[in-house]
Amino acid sequence: MSIKEIVQKIDWLLVIAVFALVFFGLMLIYSATYNYAQTAQSWHMQRQIVFFIIGVALTGCSLAFDYRGLKQYMTYIYGVNVLMLLVVMFFGHSQLGAQRWLQISSFSFQPSEFSKLFMIVCLAAFMEHRIEWLEDFADYIKVFGFIFIPFILVLRQPDLGTSLCLIAILLGMIFISGFRYEWMIKVVISLLALAPAIWNFVLQDYQKSRIMVFLNPEIDPFGSGYHVIQSKIAIGSGSWFGKGWLAGTQSQLNFLPENHTDFIFAVAGEEFGFIGVSVILFLYAIIIWRGIRIALKAEDNFGVLLAVGITSMFMFHILVNIGMTIGIMPVTGVPLPFLSYGVSSLLTNIMGVALLLNISARNVKLKF
Amino acid sequence: MIFIREKVIKRLRVFSFICGVFFCILFARVIYMQLIHGNYYLSQSDENRLRQTKIFAARGMIYDSKGRELVNNYPGYAIALQRRKSYSDDLLERLSRVVGLSVEMIKARIQQNKDSYEPIILRTHITPQMLTKFEEERKNLSNVLLMVYPERKYIYNNFGVHTIGYVGEVSEYEIENKLYNDVTVGSIVGKSGLEKYYDKVLRGVDGYTLEEVDVTGSVVRNYDNVRPEPGKSLHLTIDYEMQKKLENFTKRHLENLRRTKKAPNAYAAAVVALDPRSGAIRALLSVPDYNPNFFVEGMTEKQWNTINTDPNLPQLNRVIAGEYPPGSTFKIVTGSAAFEQKKVTLDELIYDGGFHPLVPTMRNAGGEVLGWLNFIRGLAMSDNVYFYELANRVGIDIISKYARIYGFGKLTGIDLPDESKGLVASKEVKRKIWNEGWRLGDTFNAAIGQGFNLSTPLQLAVMLSSVANGGIHYQPYLVENITNPDGTVFQIPKRTEAKHIDVSQTTLNYMQQGMSATTREGGTAAYFRTLPKPIAGKTGTAENSHGRDHGLFVAYGPVDNPELCVVAIVEQGGYGSVSAGPIVYHIFEEYFRERGWLPKHKSLKA
Repeated sequence: MSIKEIVQKIDWLLVIAVFALVFFGLMLIYSATYNYAQTAQSWHMQRQIVFFIIGVALTGCSLAFDYRGLKQYMTYIYGVNVLMLLVVMFFGHSQLGAQRWLQISSFSFQPSEFSKLFMIVCLAAFMEHRIEWLEDFADYIKVFGFIFIPFILVLRQPDLGTSLCLIAILLGMIFISGFRYEWMIKVVISLLALAPAIWNFVLQDYQKSRIMVFLNPEIDPFGSGYHVIQSKIAIGSGSWFGKGWLAGTQSQLNFLPENHTDFIFAVAGEEFGFIGVSVILFLYAIIIWRGIRIALKAEDNFGVLLAVGITSMFMFHILVNIGMTIGIMPVTGVPLPFLSYGVSSLLTNIMGVALLLNISARNVKLKF
Repeated sequence: MIFIREKVIKRLRVFSFICGVFFCILFARVIYMQLIHGNYYLSQSDENRLRQTKIFAARGMIYDSKGRELVNNYPGYAIALQRRKSYSDDLLERLSRVVGLSVEMIKARIQQNKDSYEPIILRTHITPQMLTKFEEERKNLSNVLLMVYPERKYIYNNFGVHTIGYVGEVSEYEIENKLYNDVTVGSIVGKSGLEKYYDKVLRGVDGYTLEEVDVTGSVVRNYDNVRPEPGKSLHLTIDYEMQKKLENFTKRHLENLRRTKKAPNAYAAAVVALDPRSGAIRALLSVPDYNPNFFVEGMTEKQWNTINTDPNLPQLNRVIAGEYPPGSTFKIVTGSAAFEQKKVTLDELIYDGGFHPLVPTMRNAGGEVLGWLNFIRGLAMSDNVYFYELANRVGIDIISKYARIYGFGKLTGIDLPDESKGLVASKEVKRKIWNEGWRLGDTFNAAIGQGFNLSTPLQLAVMLSSVANGGIHYQPYLVENITNPDGTVFQIPKRTEAKHIDVSQTTLNYMQQGMSATTREGGTAAYFRTLPKPIAGKTGTAENSHGRDHGLFVAYGPVDNPELCVVAIVEQGGYGSVSAGPIVYHIFEEYFRERGWLPKHKSLKA
């Protein structure tokens, strides 16, 4: 495929939406870190810009390769993924009570972020390869087994957000592959039956408390409930037009914690009001819409599964992060794609978009 | 192509639908929060960032008649808590250690203040020890404030406490029942005396600062300052020197009475001196007293007990709220009634055979028999039988009427709270209290100020002043004027207009003559002769069913141009001339010395 052909075929609306979001995100990160240490006011923003440029460059390069080539590396990707998670488990350093970070020279990475993308590729390849026997429930058991090891490794870090994201991705992909509705009902019923065991043996205390606090933030207004209370105040007080850029009192006076990462949406809500929030939701809707459209137009099953996996990942992050800031989802520490500060997350999401663009560049004209 | 295209499209459509639902949920929630409840969250964010701090208005000062400061304010510290939705247990425990209140008490305070936006004052009158503890713990006490406020200081402690009163924090009950205007929890209000009566003018208007703070409580910028408006000051009719001498003398005198066994239970007394030319109170004393500073500083249990369990009720202002039988001082009323009704003449002689023939059981005090008496001698000797006969001639209804004319049975209207009305003996009163018919003996009893008659010392002083000034009724008062902080006059308190009472000059003149005779040779208080100007007086003994009789003495002087009326009562003091008389004598002595009618440093009487 020529470069010209690729440039013509890729989904430019998706590109524009992502650029708009990243630009919006940079403004929000600047505002959220505005009164940190006066000396390094724009440090976070600059770093985010640098990694965005790196991401864009990587995207450009990746478009030259056909995404279908990834299928053959499935085993290696899977292996690297598991290895990376194991390294984090043994050599990573912890922050905020979870061992999620890997330090390479001066850069900290969060392998579980990349893990999501790796798993999407592997799952898509795995499922496509065995697609002929994805007829029985028993076949799906093998798919569950395939994702089980990385899932457990992420869960034990512990990173509940990412492990739930993996489940969301899995759900999206098996749903598209034709997982029967009656099986879903059965799975839900059996999970409900297992719920007490999961509560007692799988979830960590802090995760349990977060769920409890989510159900009633007032039980712990100084602990994890505090974040949500302050976030809701920030967003609600933005009203129609917001308090203005750099003028959000919740954010600027530090009532809003983690405001440049997980709670960036609250900064948007406070400073840009309902108008700003609507723009963000609209841009996300474009991304999801284009993701689904790309799946629809994908040339092969691998492309369909890949596009759906990536779209599911975005949808999960959007729903869970924004839901958390507006108090309808528990606090899980899931970043908001393209807006939250965090280079691992940013690179992962851009590479996800790169894959979508790759699929869109190589789609077929629908024949009906 | 292994997937069936149609099936994938179908599933993707469902997938899109689910994503659409997710977006709708997020969108709906944002609309709900920002557009429907935006104002609520805005107020919440303001509550986070805005800190309103009250600046207390200094209460007005209180000065004596010569401009001497009696009550002022000095800077005191209070520890207060910023209003927050909730507080950590750790903070409350630390606070509890600093201010010496239990965590429960602090929580109760917070609960009381739940509707206020201002800092919750946990404790006023912070001692240096508490201050040290606070400074040590300061880092761990976010949202805790040290506030400076004007603390009330009663410079001379017990001095004039029943007049001045004291301040304290407004109680929940007082707020609920709207007993004070414009108060919130923590407001300092007058609780008794002038502090209570003039609370509105004394209190002033609190100011505040509005600041923006960050999450650590550090001030980011100042929004608004409203300066407090200090309260107005009171200028009293009372002179410090005279009142102080009276207090000292009275306490010493009571001690003497007890020590010499003349009146072993004389613990309580009430004295009031007023100017019959205006109604201005020159001295007002109720014994025992208490230290109002205890109420400001917070009392120890011992102090609380001394004030509240003392059977002699130190908090009672006996001058305005002590109700006593007026005793023989009431004979002025009976005499006035008889002359006004023309039932007797000045020269008519009435025979005292030791008892009245119609009710032979009622006799003179001490069983005296004085023989033929005219009015002047009857009053000067305080002869009961003479007045039984006058009462027999006019009847109880007329006596009641004149008692009311002189001001008995109703409030004098003095500018102090909680005044008592007393009681005027009448047929209705007896029926109401005992449900019994009236007898002649009751009339006789009423005529000499016993039985159903009850009056406050101030009512006696008001009656006396009408006699002294030739029939003018003045409303007694304590505050001459109210001044602004810059010294200009803000207001002169409204007083009811002086009016003539319905008693003729001739009658009043007879009363004056009778009272003048009392202090002359042969009268019941002849020792008043030693004063350089003549005094008119009347002794009285108020029957007391709980112990020795109360001793009463009322007097005015100088006789030809009265400037001072004095009423003194010593509870369980026995004869008025022995117990209450010397107090009255002392006041006149000091007053005359002040007027220059007596040398400065010479006592007439030991």
